[in-house]
Amino acid sequence: MDIEREVTLTVNGTSYTRVVSVRKLLCEFLRDDLDLTGTHVGCEHGVCGSCTILVDGHTARSCLMMAVQADGSEITTVEGLAKDGRLHPIQEAFWEEHGLQCGFCASGLLLTVHEFLSDRRDPSEQSIREALAGNICRCTGYQNIVKAVAKADRIWER
Amino acid sequence: MGATMMGARVKRLEDPRLLRGQASFVDDLRLPGVLHAAILRSSHAHARIRKIDLSAVRAAPGVVDTFCLTDVWQSPPTIPVLVGVPSLVPCPQHPLAGEVVRYVGEPLAVVVALDRALAEDALDVAEVDYDPLPGLGDAEQALAAGSKLLHDTAPGNVAARWTQGFGDVKAAFKEADHVVHERLRMQRYSGVPLETRGILASPDSVSGELTIWASGQWPHTARGLTAAALGMDERRVRCILPDVGGGFGVKCDLYPEDILIPLAATRLNRPVKWIEDRREHFLSCVHAREMTFDLELAFKSDGTILGMRGQIISDQGAYVRTLGMVNASLAITGLPGPYNIKSFSAEVVCALTNKSPTSTYRGAGAPEGTYARERLLDIAGHQIGIDPAELRLKNLLRPEALPYSAKLVAVEGPINYDSGDFPAALRQALKKANYTEFRKAQSQARSEGRLRGVGMCVYVQQAGLGPFESAEVRVDEDGNVNVVSGAAPQGQGTGTMLAQIVADQLEVPLERVSVSFGDTARIPFGVGTYGSRTVVMAGSAALGAAQRVREKAIQVAAHLFEAGPGDVEWKDGVARIVGVPGKGYTLAELAEAASPGKNRPPGMEPGLDARYYFEKNQSPFSYGVHVAEVEVERETGDVKVRRYVVVNDCGRMINPMIVEGQIAGGIAQGAGGALLEELVYDEQGQLLTASLFDYQLPTSLDLPSIEISHLVSPSDLNPLGVKGVGEGGAIGAHAAVTNAVADAIAHTGARVCQTPLRPAVVWKLMNEKSVQA
Repeated sequence: MDIEREVTLTVNGTSYTRVVSVRKLLCEFLRDDLDLTGTHVGCEHGVCGSCTILVDGHTARSCLMMAVQADGSEITTVEGLAKDGRLHPIQEAFWEEHGLQCGFCASGLLLTVHEFLSDRRDPSEQSIREALAGNICRCTGYQNIVKAVAKADRIWER
Repeated sequence: MGATMMGARVKRLEDPRLLRGQASFVDDLRLPGVLHAAILRSSHAHARIRKIDLSAVRAAPGVVDTFCLTDVWQSPPTIPVLVGVPSLVPCPQHPLAGEVVRYVGEPLAVVVALDRALAEDALDVAEVDYDPLPGLGDAEQALAAGSKLLHDTAPGNVAARWTQGFGDVKAAFKEADHVVHERLRMQRYSGVPLETRGILASPDSVSGELTIWASGQWPHTARGLTAAALGMDERRVRCILPDVGGGFGVKCDLYPEDILIPLAATRLNRPVKWIEDRREHFLSCVHAREMTFDLELAFKSDGTILGMRGQIISDQGAYVRTLGMVNASLAITGLPGPYNIKSFSAEVVCALTNKSPTSTYRGAGAPEGTYARERLLDIAGHQIGIDPAELRLKNLLRPEALPYSAKLVAVEGPINYDSGDFPAALRQALKKANYTEFRKAQSQARSEGRLRGVGMCVYVQQAGLGPFESAEVRVDEDGNVNVVSGAAPQGQGTGTMLAQIVADQLEVPLERVSVSFGDTARIPFGVGTYGSRTVVMAGSAALGAAQRVREKAIQVAAHLFEAGPGDVEWKDGVARIVGVPGKGYTLAELAEAASPGKNRPPGMEPGLDARYYFEKNQSPFSYGVHVAEVEVERETGDVKVRRYVVVNDCGRMINPMIVEGQIAGGIAQGAGGALLEELVYDEQGQLLTASLFDYQLPTSLDLPSIEISHLVSPSDLNPLGVKGVGEGGAIGAHAAVTNAVADAIAHTGARVCQTPLRPAVVWKLMNEKSVQA
């Protein structure tokens, strides 16, 4: 039997109330119920990091959370980064430094970097690499992502 | 303005959509009424199928349709082999297994349900009665006398076997002062794009057309092959490539699902979607690389190579797939590489095993052959007592020898190195890597108990596969320029590259140019994106189309000026009378004049547009040198890549930023292969690494920053002077990193002749002196 529950949560500043199957993953809920397809699903077992989002300000793998677990929480997905049509400085930095190729991993990386940079300045290369280590990128070899994070640190006024 | 875009590090036009989360990968597409498919796959590596009972599946909640082979085909289609060799025996795969399954993950049946979860639930109640047969999890086991045959058509489990060579190898080995032999193994690994495969097929009951969106690399080829397999008219099938999250060659195959999902949609007359999950990806997306080389080099006492000979055993997997012969062909023809090797003879044996079929992955045979040769050169240098750099410099082809025919023909064309300077690239790389100083530092470190090593690789790569690519350039009446290309990129930045070429020809700002791809309805012929071909083939096609549009624009302007075309000059996107600075016609005005019913020259076809096919069967060759520096932890065998230097020559570069991105990405994959990645099967053919927990991909902590510099030897084989670059990083890195690790632990007497060099393996090599490949 498919059990359903009502959830209310805020995504990118908008409040949503929906009835969902208790077995629905949060990533599926975001993608299929809210049509926010910017969150990409690469492995469904919590390793690749593509589906990373912010839940109450902290990174979470939306493939490892059920939609019902997000009831009452405040979520930011990649669609919530740009404001008033302008790219977020982290997005700008990824663009400037060629920090993406196919772009599939970029959504998760942007949010990982958002959390990493939000409370620190001038990180070392090693600490950037450690922060990125939970997000797999198959295209770039990471070095331009590392450069992008350093650049984002410089241009993001926070 | 003139030519300002080509050669510039322009930010990619593709990126804002991707960064905003607005891209459309196949799973992001939304169609009303869509149904979801799941595939029932074999849990046995080798078994006779007594019965497949889908009655419980049919009755499961939400199931709309389910079928196995006998439900849909009396004589099922086979997955075609597009690139064959004369000795290939037929051992093709059907979209669904019939009487026998030959690998874990082979499709048995399709379930279509209201959502994916229900479709997957229904798989659990399918009943398959297997009669297990002995599984062959290893190529040598498969080739051994008396082994169970996988296919009646393939005696000895050999799918194909052939020999290639030139010169008098026997004489070379007879007169040699040194003969160096090693058995070198490269493991099974693959591209593992972050976006898995996926297909959405939708029949249009009005037009009778079937539209297929697929995460692929060659929509035009896919259309033809899918239509043929389903017995449909090709004109009734439209293939569209949406955004694709990496391909690396593994999405370049006609997969069973490419036939099954359109079939399901046609049966139901409803859209059907299938998105591969990661476990399925590991089981059923093509694997690659697994080869064993028995290789010998004959040397004069001074280190001059006299000859090379050997045998390659290529583990083909259970079937020969669409491009399944490419790896073996490029491996054998790539063995001599950029060296002046006077005689060569090698045999390749393609063995059938109970494992996932193999096919192309970034480099497709070149990383394998390059690894074997470059590893053996290091072993030889060690044995003969010549520094590996010196040994290479002694034997590399001199620049004056180019263009050079390697006297070998691969399935994709002759091996001819068109331009370059291999020794100069090696010298430059050694200098950048401070090679001489490193050797001193290495001894010092060793005396302090630190194991540092340096490894190098000189490689060539076929970089611009034919036979053609298409482009259409059209100027709208608002002056915007549209390019349609037959290419089918998966993240390479091809749109930006083509826009740079076209913007320069028409002398318009880059922002005025938009590029679209991968839709069989937009351009009638196209090939796609694989084999490092796109800049050469699609780039030259876009150049040709843009040049025609420019000529046409000048003719329209001449007509409006009532002058001859020779009196009109084209500058900054405006046509003027030569030497008359006043009145000019903009691209928008000329596009309007050229539109039907307006004011174009008599006899001219309407529309400021042109289509161009660049046709070429001879591929240029890129080359490069990689120098890797590693440190091995004595206590654990853990390897850290400390430094990585590349000297690359891919001819003229359209966008060096994109070129360098391709190189760095390729290196990550090659280094991953050298150190981490392996698709491990047990002896019976069960895959033990079907998740990202078990199959280890490199992370940001596994790779250093990569230092790239360029030589530029333009190719004469295309009007842009370009050569492809997509695969080189992967070709060079596997060998360079392996050689570096071997160098770091050479003093322990370790024989490094297998990869991946995971810590446990390296520790064993150091502590047990030799572990057999």
